[in-house]
Amino acid sequence: MTRQDLGNATTTMYAEGAELVIERTFDAPREQVWAVMTSPEHIPQWWGPHGTTTDVVEMDVRPGGRWRWVNLFDGGRAPFTGEYLEVVPPQRFVRTSIFDIEPFNTGPGAIETATFDEVEGGTKVTYHTRFPAQEAIDAALAQGMSKGALEQFDRLADLLTGTSRPR
Amino acid sequence: MDDDQLSATFAALADPTRRAILARLATGEATVGELAEPFNLSPPAISKHLKVLQQAGLIEQGRQAQWRPCRLRPEPLREVAIWMTQYRRFLGQSFDRLDDYLRALRTQQPGDHDTPQGEAQ
Repeated sequence: MTRQDLGNATTTMYAEGAELVIERTFDAPREQVWAVMTSPEHIPQWWGPHGTTTDVVEMDVRPGGRWRWVNLFDGGRAPFTGEYLEVVPPQRFVRTSIFDIEPFNTGPGAIETATFDEVEGGTKVTYHTRFPAQEAIDAALAQGMSKGALEQFDRLADLLTGTSRPR
Repeated sequence: MDDDQLSATFAALADPTRRAILARLATGEATVGELAEPFNLSPPAISKHLKVLQQAGLIEQGRQAQWRPCRLRPEPLREVAIWMTQYRRFLGQSFDRLDDYLRALRTQQPGDHDTPQGEAQ
């Protein structure tokens, strides 16, 4: 599968199939980075694009706990919701993420996995998002497709990340 | 971006049988009978799945031939790619802001941690 590099000097970002990985090292201790990414009082300070604010409606950071954050921007709001699946402070959390606007939320949502590693210069956060379309590839594998068929499907996966054009 | 189209794509991808149908069609066009075979589905059941895929614009069905072969239309999957791009920007900018925020916290509470380090400019 084609890997597409999208990052810059400070951030490593790449897409592979329907997965997106962002790696960034923050100049702060791991406990602190964990805290600002998992405490409701910190989220409005950084989550969302520049010039927006975020309302933390619900945030229960433990397995099975729900979260609902609403990004507020000029002229609209973008609610995201999901469930924490795994919480291992200060190392890792896994959660589902759904863009909660009818009818976007009819889809299965993405799985986000954040990993926090102590490295030279601070804390490296690896944020891995697996988009639902990846399941299509998994399903194909489970069906025991031939190698040629898999290559075809890789082409399809590349379309998902815009690395190639059909026909 | 057409929101209805995008949600229809996601809804269509949400079902494992439909994903398997797309996987099969990624290998080339197939008749309704050929598509139904591996799943042990009744003709009405397979027709229902194909209808959802067709409405999502993910497949198209030939009109002339009697067996009406189905083929994949990858364009809506590119819509999904656009959505992923938006998400990527959202998260990328959030991380820029997170970096700024952590810096601000550090200057507010100097010596809070055991690695006091001058800001390398």
